[in-house]
Amino acid sequence: MANNVMGVFQFEDEFIGALRRLKESGFDGLTAMSPIPLHEADHILGFGKSPVRRFTLAGTIIGAAAGFYMTVATALTFILPTSGRPIITVPPYLVITYEMTILLGVLFTLLGFHVVSGLPAWRDRIYHPATNVDRFTLVVECAEGEKSNLAEKIIRESGAEEVSRVEGDR
Amino acid sequence: MADYTEPTYAEVNNDVLRSMMETGPKYWALLGTSIAVAGICFFLPWFYQLEVGVGAAGMNRSAVWGTYLSNFIFWIGLSHSGTLLSAILHITNSSWRKPIYRSAEAMTLFSLVTAALFVMVHVGRVWFVHWTIPVPNQMDLWPNFRSPLMFDVMAITTYLTASSIFIYMGSVPDFAAVRDASTGLRRKLYTIFSFGWRGTAKEWHTLGWAYTFFAVLVIPLAVSVHSIVSWDFAMSLVPGLHHTVFAPYFVTGAIYSGTAGIVTVMFLLRKYMNFERYIREIHLVNLGKLLVVLSLIWTYINIMELFTTWFSGSSYELEALEWRMTGFYAPMYWEMILFCAVVPLLILFKRIRTSWKSMLIISILINIGMLSERFIIVATSQPRKFLPDAFGFYFPSIVEILITIGSFAIFSTLFLIFVKWVPSVSLYEVKETLKPLRRAG
Repeated sequence: MANNVMGVFQFEDEFIGALRRLKESGFDGLTAMSPIPLHEADHILGFGKSPVRRFTLAGTIIGAAAGFYMTVATALTFILPTSGRPIITVPPYLVITYEMTILLGVLFTLLGFHVVSGLPAWRDRIYHPATNVDRFTLVVECAEGEKSNLAEKIIRESGAEEVSRVEGDR
Repeated sequence: MADYTEPTYAEVNNDVLRSMMETGPKYWALLGTSIAVAGICFFLPWFYQLEVGVGAAGMNRSAVWGTYLSNFIFWIGLSHSGTLLSAILHITNSSWRKPIYRSAEAMTLFSLVTAALFVMVHVGRVWFVHWTIPVPNQMDLWPNFRSPLMFDVMAITTYLTASSIFIYMGSVPDFAAVRDASTGLRRKLYTIFSFGWRGTAKEWHTLGWAYTFFAVLVIPLAVSVHSIVSWDFAMSLVPGLHHTVFAPYFVTGAIYSGTAGIVTVMFLLRKYMNFERYIREIHLVNLGKLLVVLSLIWTYINIMELFTTWFSGSSYELEALEWRMTGFYAPMYWEMILFCAVVPLLILFKRIRTSWKSMLIISILINIGMLSERFIIVATSQPRKFLPDAFGFYFPSIVEILITIGSFAIFSTLFLIFVKWVPSVSLYEVKETLKPLRRAG
């Protein structure tokens, strides 16, 4: 039994219009796919500040701490007195700390991207290949019945060039 | 350009994917030549040097730094514009960056790889190169983090990692487009590369945030990398190298040569990959303006270097400067001034900055000048430090000259492979610059 309604749009404004109407009609299981990022879709779907930023912050803090710790621990493990200078020479260690801050900041941001976006996801999911070219695809999760008829109606009225019932994972 | 017609979304996909999937005999001939030159000029002399020792290079006391290190600085420098320019223009929302940034970032990556190879060639016993990495080992060896050379290891490793992630993440939606347009093994590979990307609002939103953070992190990183490379020299107390201006001097020079490198690469991509509709006059003009600004900053810093040397009154510094400007390598010094300070001023003329051929020539001349600059920094300072009885002379050996030539072949080999594996023009970002697909217009 088909559990999703899929609409393929040629035009961005009609796609956004359909998305807005579906959201206003109380549909929650919406997946909007487009060949380019659309900020209007983000607003309609309620995407605010991304949690990725927390990963970045955590990465930079851990990186800074790890970088400084590594240099200081090295100095204390391998005591290397040089011309009466202190064993823990902070200025050069700050350079290493700086690099480690950025390195872990980048790596944690990457981790954040994967965690938040749910990628990699190599399993079969509902998808229209033309999305990566010039089409906008909308998938609405709803069981057969009145709700799905309403979703189909909204999508069709909004100007979709292709509407179908599809089974599968969103 | 009056005859310019904007491509459709589908045409963008077709044009860019065709450049990846349709390969003619010219490409194979070029790739074959490139690999052959890299093998004969880079790897064979390197193996010879490994066999007989670093004496095969022209380095000896008192010149223990030579062409390998000047090439290392040059390639690190060339790597700067790609990621740095891409990141800065991304944050400032400059849409003209979109068709050119992917190949500029690739330039960054491959220049870094080439630079890293020079470190391995320079150190001689390359099989001990892992000693520089802070990993536990049976000999209780651990790097000395006070050394600028260790700063280098940390900075370049970080830069290589960050640049690779930056270019890869920006390419994920385009890998999905390649996946959808291909079959068989290629489809399987690009399914893996694209992580199963579908272009959902959630994916775009997350990528946008992550990409901006990458850009924000990469900018200070790129500045730090060449500053650190400059400290390898500036912290050495050697006359001619011990200047506080070295960090901004190196960073400016890096962005300068990198931007010139982008112009060269743009010309080649436009001509040989048929990207005339994407890489346009506006890119040439904007890059040209940037080159003029960078040329002026570079010239200013050079004048400051002369001034501070003269003003210091240090006889060692003055002698080093005199040798640089009037000694054996003086023709190279003045060639550098001509190519990097004078020739770029021609870009001020509209006829020059709107001509692809003129800009190609100027960009190549700038990089010849920058390569000379890196060589002069190394070759005219260290062999003549302080007292005359310690004076020596450095001239590259045939092994070093061949390896220098070979490095360009390594870079071009990597780039040629890149253009067939990664869309060299960003599909989705180019589409963003086009007229939106709206029925309402």
